[in-house]
Amino acid sequence: MKAIKIQLWYGLLWLGILLGLLTAYRVLISNGFVLYAKTDILVWTMPIAAYVFFSLTSSGLAFVSSIPIVFGIKRYQPLEKRTAFLEIAVLMAAFTCLLLHLGSPWNVVYYVFSPNFASPLWWLGMLYGLYLIVLLLSFRKIHKAQVSKGLGIFTFIIAIATSTALGWLFGLPDARPVYNANFLAMYFPLTGFASALSAVLLFSLAYHHFAKIPLSEGDGNLYDDLSKLFGVVMVLTLIFFIWRTIVGGVSASAVEFAGFRHMLGSGWYHLALWVGLVIPLVLIAMPSVRQATWGKLTSAALFLVGMFAGRLEMVLSGLVMPTGPKAEGQPPFVSYWPTIWEVFVFVFALAVMLLIYTLGERKLKLAEVPE
Amino acid sequence: MPKYAMVIDLQRCVGCGACSIACRNENNVPDGIYWSNKITETYGTFPNVRFHYLPTLCNHCSDAPCVKGCPTKAMHKLDNGITMHDPDKCIGCRYCMYNCPYEVIYFNWQDPHKFWRNTRPVIEGGTSSPREMAQKANNGNGTPYSNPARAKTLPENRPKGVVEKCTFCDHRLKTGEIPYCVEACPADARIFGDLDKPDSKVSQLLGKFKPFRRKERLGTEPNVYYIRSYNPARYERTKGGI
Repeated sequence: MKAIKIQLWYGLLWLGILLGLLTAYRVLISNGFVLYAKTDILVWTMPIAAYVFFSLTSSGLAFVSSIPIVFGIKRYQPLEKRTAFLEIAVLMAAFTCLLLHLGSPWNVVYYVFSPNFASPLWWLGMLYGLYLIVLLLSFRKIHKAQVSKGLGIFTFIIAIATSTALGWLFGLPDARPVYNANFLAMYFPLTGFASALSAVLLFSLAYHHFAKIPLSEGDGNLYDDLSKLFGVVMVLTLIFFIWRTIVGGVSASAVEFAGFRHMLGSGWYHLALWVGLVIPLVLIAMPSVRQATWGKLTSAALFLVGMFAGRLEMVLSGLVMPTGPKAEGQPPFVSYWPTIWEVFVFVFALAVMLLIYTLGERKLKLAEVPE
Repeated sequence: MPKYAMVIDLQRCVGCGACSIACRNENNVPDGIYWSNKITETYGTFPNVRFHYLPTLCNHCSDAPCVKGCPTKAMHKLDNGITMHDPDKCIGCRYCMYNCPYEVIYFNWQDPHKFWRNTRPVIEGGTSSPREMAQKANNGNGTPYSNPARAKTLPENRPKGVVEKCTFCDHRLKTGEIPYCVEACPADARIFGDLDKPDSKVSQLLGKFKPFRRKERLGTEPNVYYIRSYNPARYERTKGGI
């Protein structure tokens, strides 16, 4: 019975990957980007939002895995190996989304041959490349039960650099002040950390459930601890979220903020606020729910759903208002709903991540605690 | 080295769109992409209404945000001030479109001039297919009416998955010709020249009339200037009232 369930799981993951490969063929080779709900106005849509979601979660996971090494809090050590592996799997999901966002991905060789040091996108590409190498080296060490403090600190620093550089990337254009670089440079690492905490709770508790390994008292205390930390980070995220709404959506009068004011009435915004922040926070604030496994799982899953919606809302808020010659014949705000092909990009990324993670869970003993 | 700029005289511009059509012919611009475009605005309530027409194109900014953001220098500045794009280096990230405050950069979402790849005859047994037409007229390269001169500095037809935009007809400048939109303007509303030459027509006009540029507050230093405005309306001298 167990073997059938595992085969079914692998079958689902391969189906997701096949759908993704079909999408890659149709988008990059045969049909082009007309398969996405992209226009000359909405130049960035769901694939880039998914990239932001996965890449920031990966950076956040680096913060979590650094807790025992960088901050010396040893009780988080049991999470280290799984978290370190999850960082790699989630980063591969981010790269998958990026691949299907780029029009000519084969030209990325010019990152090396024709670098533009003034571009945040160049820095981000190089930093993420370096990040992947460091993560692989770091996990190799952990797998061999050799913990390297230097490598751990380096991973932590690169994770800060990548998540803050992503804020720079969005905040560079003066034409789109709604993406405030200073704000995003703080908001991105914070929300990445929150996403990572929910991912760790979700994957660790799922491991205990599916491997039928009951939680020991130590594990139970650790996850209770983690969910308290998750609650605190959620409160901080909510504070940032509310201030962003007040500053950009209520008090700002510049015309460029109209797109964000429009998004305040969108489903994506309300999904991010209510499903992603308010409900999980209420659940985690109740001690009886917080201590229950279902309570942790539900709030973590809801938070991730809301965070994904929030990433999409953020990307769209700077783009939905057509301006200049591209506003000719357009409504004041354009609407967006992803096409099935854009959904397949997300499914592809998720399947890549889950396949890598499942293989790691089965072959690499992720529950091991490094010395 | 010259510093090229364009002056658009809004009093002379009649909004005929000849600049856009000329640009499309000269640069083999595909459907849905506009190197030369316009902003139209209507003000007031009937019967007191006015229609405004502002021709637009790449501003070839001296401090171009698209150039700053491009990770591979596909978007780059030439010594003569032109903002140029190299599709061979373009990764198709569209960060230049995201960064451009003027909305003048376009992306090839699909194969350009796709209609001309169609293998079905327009009239079965009566006409050749679009693909055959393109093949006979121009070796299947883009369209049958494709301008081969464009290929001097850019691919004759840019491929799917890269951006494209106005280049001030850099291929014509190389042979001593002015941009084709300037050439084609029946009202001589577009004036092109070298800002570094004090006696050039553009320098003279910018000294004579108070010019404006789009979104000057952003500090991008556009090199497309607008002078004067077309408004023949008169009104009776008045101080208003309450």
